[in-house]
Amino acid sequence: MLPEIFSVLIFPGLLSAIIIGLLYEGIGRKITARMQHRRGPPIYQPFFDWIKTMTKENITPKAGNSFLMTLCPIVSFAAAVSAIIFVPVTGFSIGFEGNVFVFLYFLLISVVFLAVAGFATGSPFGVIGSMREVMQIIAYELPFIISVITLGFISGFQIVAFSAFYLPFTVFGFMLGILGKLGLPPFHIPEAEQEIVEGPMTEYTGPRLGMFQLSHAALVWVLISSAVVMIFGGGNIIEFFIKSLLILIVLMFIKNVFSRAKINQAFKFYWLVVMPLVLIDLVRVLTGFMVG
Amino acid sequence: MNNFCIPFGPQHPGLVEPIHVKLEVEGENVVGYDIKFGYSHRGIEKALENRHWIKGIFLAERVCGICSHCHTLAITQGIETLAEIKPTERSEYIRVVMAELERLHSHMLTLGVCFYEIGFQTVFQYMFRDREIPMELLELISGNRVNYGMNIPGGVRRDIEPHKSKAILQKLSKLESRFDYYIKLLEKDTLVKKRTQNVGILSKKDAIHLGATGPVRRASGISTDFRKTGYGAYGNLSFYAVIEKGCDVHSRLMVRTKECIASIRLIREALRNMPDGEINRKMPPMMNIEKGRETLSRVEAQRGELIYYLRSDGMMPYRIKIKTPTYANYLPLGEMLKGSVISDVPITVASLDPCITCADRVTVVKDGKESIVSKDDLKKM
Repeated sequence: MLPEIFSVLIFPGLLSAIIIGLLYEGIGRKITARMQHRRGPPIYQPFFDWIKTMTKENITPKAGNSFLMTLCPIVSFAAAVSAIIFVPVTGFSIGFEGNVFVFLYFLLISVVFLAVAGFATGSPFGVIGSMREVMQIIAYELPFIISVITLGFISGFQIVAFSAFYLPFTVFGFMLGILGKLGLPPFHIPEAEQEIVEGPMTEYTGPRLGMFQLSHAALVWVLISSAVVMIFGGGNIIEFFIKSLLILIVLMFIKNVFSRAKINQAFKFYWLVVMPLVLIDLVRVLTGFMVG
Repeated sequence: MNNFCIPFGPQHPGLVEPIHVKLEVEGENVVGYDIKFGYSHRGIEKALENRHWIKGIFLAERVCGICSHCHTLAITQGIETLAEIKPTERSEYIRVVMAELERLHSHMLTLGVCFYEIGFQTVFQYMFRDREIPMELLELISGNRVNYGMNIPGGVRRDIEPHKSKAILQKLSKLESRFDYYIKLLEKDTLVKKRTQNVGILSKKDAIHLGATGPVRRASGISTDFRKTGYGAYGNLSFYAVIEKGCDVHSRLMVRTKECIASIRLIREALRNMPDGEINRKMPPMMNIEKGRETLSRVEAQRGELIYYLRSDGMMPYRIKIKTPTYANYLPLGEMLKGSVISDVPITVASLDPCITCADRVTVVKDGKESIVSKDDLKKM
């Protein structure tokens, strides 16, 4: 019983999702700044940002739905934290056959409620941002799911530490799924600040926005950890964090060498380029099963 | 699907200055638009009428922060024509150096902002880092980074000494190598090309018909550049107008990047061929210009043709009318926004290099409703 409680509340669950997630964001900001020849904020800046946001007041716009606006950030955060419990980070996890699907559902709930959040505000920026978010979910989710299922066929639909280097397209699909879910360039389309201010987040203030910041931090932690475990082989705690940081650096590198795509370009890319590639790996794994 | 009304501005992270572009959208497609301005009218033209000629030059410098030298150049050339003063030869070269350095920093600002509008934060930061070079050079010459206070009837107020011109030449060669990188980026980067090519199209016919000016006009394949007429020292330098034939945002960015390289070459040539001599003629502090004399002074500013109309009332101007290039580019903006999607709007607006505040004119409000003033009403006022 005790290890389960530990894994849910402390590592890799709630507490690590908040602290390490925010820390990753801070490191990401620092790397970005150095790549752009800036000094950048200190690594602990996201903590200050979060504390400041939490002390501000909640404002509901006239057209907004107060209940939904409170519900969305909480559900989004809770779902992101719940997803990590099924990933065996250095051995702590709730393992059962089929937990791949639960993991996928929780991740999906987290981003879907981000989209709902924009609709709940009733602001035109929020609504357009949410429409883009939904479009983007449809775009990246299928290749992401297929690549996770491909891994599932090998591991018996349970998330286990696995090194997927002989399935390069699965790795490709998984990483692009991460980019889409985190809204990193070139897929920062829903939050395009030059076009629609902050997209779904436009009308959010105070603790609600703070919860969304936590939700994003938790997503960073969950997605990077799951990538380390599911496609880069996991390992002990030191290996795990070294691999996590390497993935973070790769993500930040991608973030800084691309401009923003348009939503139709992103859609075409995911469905016409990424999808056939991940399907190749799926077919390879399936036929391997039949032969073997 | 329901139609939404998306307000771009007057407060918007994508557009820094107060312009209001009201977009009617259906999903992502723009189906209607309305452009409103007049949020920061400052009454500078009226203020110019209450000042002496020389003081007016320093007020004209405050019309725009980015093209401050061009405004003083236009009004100074106008006053020189009215008072029949010829500037010294050396000062004309110094004016060219200042104007071209200013063009460099202005174009780099716009290019940076354009990359920011398509979500390319890194190049935005690079561009602003490199923009420090022309800014520092301007500071080296005049002591100021924004308003230089250089022009005065008959010449300029500060000289470019040999050690300064050596420093300028050295730093410019560093800047030129950076521009090779930016040209390569614009030509090779797939995503940048996808975001800018065939976006915000203004055909050659429309550009002439709607009176687009500056880099916007030159990007539509029309070789109109007022520097070609050879005002100031431009006639003695090997100046060429940069044109592109793509008619889209990409060509506008290309025109600006290539103009930067052309500017660097012009500065180099001007510094090498600069004649020795006085930098200004000693003028009396109060000038008296014969009543009723008038002139039209034109200068190629960074954004296009800048026009000053001056009419004398003796010690003071009777009327000064300023036509900034941004004003001429509002009509083409409407043409460019036709049939675009939301993602294209910020980059299309930014590709004009709008300087809203320079172009703001009075909006007449009657009974809380805006009204358009006819020509006859204006005459009565």
